[in-house]
Amino acid sequence: MDVSNSCSSFSSSSVDSTKPSPSESSVNLSLSLTFPSTSPQREARQDWPPITSRLRDTLKGRRLIRRGNDTSLFVKVYMEGVPIGRKLDLCAFSGYESLLENLSHMFDTSIICGNRDRKHHVLTYEDKDGDWMMVGDIPWDMFLETVRRLKITRPERY
Amino acid sequence: MNYFPDEVIEHVFDFVTSHKDRNAISLVCKSWYKIERYSRQKVFIGNCYAINPERLLRRFPCLKSLTLKGKPHFADFNLVPHEWGGFLLPWIEALARSRVGLEELRLKRMVVTDESLELLSRSFVNFKSLVLVSCEGFTTDGLASIAANCRHLRDLDLQENEIDDHRGQWLSCFPDTCTTLVTLNFACLEGETNLVALERLVARSPNLKSLKLNRAVPLDALARLMVCAPQIVDLGVGSYENDPDSESYLKLKAAIKKCTSLRSLSGFLEAAPHCLSAFHPICHNLTSLNLSYAAEIHGSHLIKLIQHCKKLQRLWILDSIGDKGLEVVASTCKELQELRVFPSDLLGGGNTAVTEEGLVAISAGCPKLHSILYFCQQMTNAALVTVAKNCPNFIRFRLCILDPTKPDHVTSQPLDEGFGAIVKACKSLRRLSLSGLLTDQVFLYIGMYANQLEMLSIAFAGDTDKGMLYVLNGCKKMKKLEIRDSPFGDTALLADVSKYKTMRSLWMSSCEVTLSGCKRLAQKAPWLNVEIINENDNNRMEENGHEGRQKVDKLYLYRTVVGTRMDAPPFVWIL
Repeated sequence: MDVSNSCSSFSSSSVDSTKPSPSESSVNLSLSLTFPSTSPQREARQDWPPITSRLRDTLKGRRLIRRGNDTSLFVKVYMEGVPIGRKLDLCAFSGYESLLENLSHMFDTSIICGNRDRKHHVLTYEDKDGDWMMVGDIPWDMFLETVRRLKITRPERY
Repeated sequence: MNYFPDEVIEHVFDFVTSHKDRNAISLVCKSWYKIERYSRQKVFIGNCYAINPERLLRRFPCLKSLTLKGKPHFADFNLVPHEWGGFLLPWIEALARSRVGLEELRLKRMVVTDESLELLSRSFVNFKSLVLVSCEGFTTDGLASIAANCRHLRDLDLQENEIDDHRGQWLSCFPDTCTTLVTLNFACLEGETNLVALERLVARSPNLKSLKLNRAVPLDALARLMVCAPQIVDLGVGSYENDPDSESYLKLKAAIKKCTSLRSLSGFLEAAPHCLSAFHPICHNLTSLNLSYAAEIHGSHLIKLIQHCKKLQRLWILDSIGDKGLEVVASTCKELQELRVFPSDLLGGGNTAVTEEGLVAISAGCPKLHSILYFCQQMTNAALVTVAKNCPNFIRFRLCILDPTKPDHVTSQPLDEGFGAIVKACKSLRRLSLSGLLTDQVFLYIGMYANQLEMLSIAFAGDTDKGMLYVLNGCKKMKKLEIRDSPFGDTALLADVSKYKTMRSLWMSSCEVTLSGCKRLAQKAPWLNVEIINENDNNRMEENGHEGRQKVDKLYLYRTVVGTRMDAPPFVWIL
């Protein structure tokens, strides 16, 4: 199974102007979570490759994952009031515009950032310090370095 | 025959510092043995169970500096259970009782407790230097005793230890009168750090040369610390997350420029990569760079940094640098002596970050390279042959292919010829780790050519006992042999028992050795401790009727002059 293909097919289906059906996108999601490896036990091994526990823990904790020549950065996305979240590869987007567009499709509602508006959902993110911030204030690549997860707030809040 | 009085001979011996040389001197004659033992101040013990503290002190009563190693090397990779052994306390108790003037203690893979640290701190008035590498079993309370009681402390160097961080105030336990610190390394601590105490300590330590911070030290604190210590030579940056426009960052940039003695840089846990440029002004002085924990930094930022480091001698990095990045290293770092490339993606999802091409580029570009540890996805015999030709001066050559039985990815052949070329060309090779698809042939080459080899690590390699026999018969200087998941059994193990007298230790796990084979070995060699580690079923080995033929999970044997150890846990069976 080719992981990078299934990842990009998931992302590209959300870039299309047609909405992915919920069942289709959840199937894609589960496909993207399967990693190919020569030994199915490889992920669980604590004694191979021969690196120290400290390095192993550091690598497990990283958010950036590299596959081939691409990087991916998966973050959790929650819609306020909805207990089950989604996971999104932020590296698949070129900037805030495409992120918002895709989120709007994924959650079937209009989402904006920056301006507070009674009608629209506003996108917020949790940064490295654990603070919740408005999406859109800092340059995109800086955002990628600091974002931990996303939350789409309800319009009434503002 | 001595034409000189003893004092003169002793004075001459003072110039002989390497423990190997001093060991040799002591064998010349009785009189030299006696002079040497009274003048020996530094002792190195490669296996803490090969000797006991009483005998050590009887021979070297003037001991000032002791190095002790405990668990076998494979303990680093979770192959040895935590309670196996290597306890420090009995050593400290014995040293304290003897009133020896201990000043330095260097430990590797030992079980250290707060109790032993407390006893250490109270027993030796002139204690100066504590270096703990890959140790465990203690907490920051133990560090607090060291800080509080060792009035002349020069070095507190904690490398890769598992320390229970009680988030206490150990840093504030250094008295105000403590101004002698030269090394302070607490990078492996996971908890919060008292920043005020740290800054005060650094400010009153004018001799501080090496400072390695943990991830709880933020950027603004780092900036203040560097202003206090512009004389710093070796810096370990903790977290490095920040806003490039902040005042702290500007202060840091200014402070870094003043650190003209800075030669070694490490850390960068959770780094914001575009701020690495703050270090560019001092990069041209750097001789050592360790970015192996900087998992969040993209290859491109690493490359930008390295391009400024023309004097680099030691580089530890993640494979996210890529083959292209290694080519930049090869063209920039002409003084490079040691390179370590660690894997950044443990799941091995078809990622070819570094390949044989990167290794070849380095070998071609760095004429002074003598030590390498290289994790990669693939290798070829042709590449290894080229590397051997480019770098015949290797002392340490360690290759790890993430899929451990992968053949040459171009020819589908085993990598025997490639490693054969390495051992044939590198006449000074002392340490070797093998990887990839390997048959008995590679061991034939190793036995034939690796005359200086002292340490060999084998995993998932070989076909028959002949492989192991080639090594045991051929490598006259072998000291440590560690083997896992390879088809070597009793025949190889028992072929030449006296060989183990010349070696420090042998480790074999998931091989073909049986319990009866190990028992026979233990019978033939009473000067050997033959340990069987059987975590899964403690007593099944004895009860089972076919016990003789049952395979041993983990075997560790080592020469010793003090017989069976008394502190082994129940799952360790000493035959």
